[in-house]
Amino acid sequence: MSVDNNILKELYRRMILVRCMEDTHNKLLQEGKIQLMGHFGTGQEAVAIGVTGPLRGEDILFGTHRGVGEYIGKGMAPRDIWLEYMGKRDSPCNGKGGLHLCDRKSNIPGLVASLGSDFSIAVGTALASKMRKTGQVTLYFVGEGTCNQADAHPSMCMAALWKLPVVFAICTNEFCELSYKCDHIPTKDVATRAAAYDIPFNIVDGQEIETTYEATRTAVEHARGGNGPYVVEYKTFRMSTHFSGDPGTYVNREELEAWRKRDPIDLCKEKLLDKGILSEKEDVQLRGQVQADVDAAVSAAFAAPDPSVEDLFTDVYSGKGVI
Amino acid sequence: MARTITFSQALNEAMAEELRRDPSVFIIGEDVRVSCFGQTAGLVNEFGQERVINTPIAENAITGAAMGAALNGLRPVLEIMFMDFTMLAMDQLCNNLGQWRYVTGGQYSIPLTIRTACGAGMRMGYGHSQCLQSQLIQAPGLIIVEPSTPYDAKGLLKAAIRSDDPVIVVESKKLIFGAVQGEVPEEEYTLPFGEAVIRKPGKDATVVAVGFMCYEALGAAQQLAQEGIDIEVIDLRSIVPMDKDAIFKSVEKTGRLITVEEGRIRGGLGAEISALATTEYFGLLKAPVQRVAAPMVPIGGSPALEDLYIPNKDSIVRAVKRAL
Repeated sequence: MSVDNNILKELYRRMILVRCMEDTHNKLLQEGKIQLMGHFGTGQEAVAIGVTGPLRGEDILFGTHRGVGEYIGKGMAPRDIWLEYMGKRDSPCNGKGGLHLCDRKSNIPGLVASLGSDFSIAVGTALASKMRKTGQVTLYFVGEGTCNQADAHPSMCMAALWKLPVVFAICTNEFCELSYKCDHIPTKDVATRAAAYDIPFNIVDGQEIETTYEATRTAVEHARGGNGPYVVEYKTFRMSTHFSGDPGTYVNREELEAWRKRDPIDLCKEKLLDKGILSEKEDVQLRGQVQADVDAAVSAAFAAPDPSVEDLFTDVYSGKGVI
Repeated sequence: MARTITFSQALNEAMAEELRRDPSVFIIGEDVRVSCFGQTAGLVNEFGQERVINTPIAENAITGAAMGAALNGLRPVLEIMFMDFTMLAMDQLCNNLGQWRYVTGGQYSIPLTIRTACGAGMRMGYGHSQCLQSQLIQAPGLIIVEPSTPYDAKGLLKAAIRSDDPVIVVESKKLIFGAVQGEVPEEEYTLPFGEAVIRKPGKDATVVAVGFMCYEALGAAQQLAQEGIDIEVIDLRSIVPMDKDAIFKSVEKTGRLITVEEGRIRGGLGAEISALATTEYFGLLKAPVQRVAAPMVPIGGSPALEDLYIPNKDSIVRAVKRAL
């Protein structure tokens, strides 16, 4: 299993960007400069970037609440994310999305608030792709905890019944909000549920970017080829807590330290150094550039205007005003 | 040229015409190929299984799937067989559908029509008989219409399918099962949302009704006329947006307002209309607003209990007299 060197380097850059975005968000929170709490995905970057890496521009992504990984991976600009997070007028959602990121340019149709209610929405976008013969694949990215929502069942059922081009990508990070997975899920794996619908599935390591990328590529090609849905489960570990205000008292520290030794960014860096396609010097330059870009995006977002009272009443309906 | 057709045929014609006109329109729902009540009957023969799609029994998920298709370039017409079952889809209806356009800053519209059948009188018991329109009026971003005639049914459903906003079309089961007939032109037409119609002009009191209750109100009007009482019957046709001007103009003339709905009284449409009138033109009212609605009890399985539950012309007559 080997990913093209240029692609691997780009995936590495994206993972660094995601980590930088989230660390910066955390810093802004601690400094009291931003109000929106963060649900960070530290340690899960190889999953978020690996599942979006093989997607085309026209493919559709439904992402999670955890961090910015898949949004960056699908092509959303850091500046747009900050504008949205700060609720600014010039954000893609005119300041109305908040943590619910949506970017039509990148074919990200929005993030639901009630976890899992987009399971079926993703089935619907895939249904439309099939009916319209657009060649698009919908990637539904979801945490293992959300797979307990009732709609997971009929959604997988419909996707299988109608052979839809949808990939259900399950990020198993060992935590469901403020508790361990074992409080929520009686089985070791979640992807095995796909067997109930005769949907093919794969369960892979979530720390190695090449593995997550290749497993997703296989699933996406399967779906795009008209063979119906595919389920992939990525095993990772949430190294951050549920949200920025969660001290994580319930986390087993030894386990956390053990997983930190398999940080996906470190693993990827070693590989790039081994292959001779990245030097330590280039790495320092790359990280510096990423941080500078993020800082510039943050500054631009702070300077952008807030929405006004006119915005309060626009876009409720396609016509003007509210009813 | 107008012909006389049934309420259900009018709905069927509306869907067939829109399916023919626009390749992005499709029908989706539980058993829509055979059609439990007949509204979508036969459409599969002309448009095929690809555009008339049977779904699993999973209301919230099929509503979400229809929403997803609407997000990606299609115009689904979803059937939720019984209005009672819209409660299973409340997450999509109230959390997502009507709010999506707003929270995405207008990046995505949801051109989705949801048809659902409401109403008691069919001896179907507590959970296949309710009118739950007032449960849905709190959600922003939805349009809710309820036709009472074949003409309105066809015109409003066609307008719903062409709308870029999510529209809920409420179909009274009494109008479907009772094979209520009416004149419908052969020519193409649509009706605007938010326009009520005066079914019977009158000067003594304003009765605002919706759906099948318009017929009960007209029955009450006949009975009251024998006693020399001349009521005006307004058919709302559209619940959201509501034709506030039509109600205002009528009350300006009569000074008395009675609301009629088949749903329950607490927090109902009548409460909303009453609040509107007392807030905006209290001075015009010569008597307290009267609300005719179902009581705050479940619908019993016994025909005797069900008949006691449903508002009818007698309860409207009593309410009008209280307002005089």
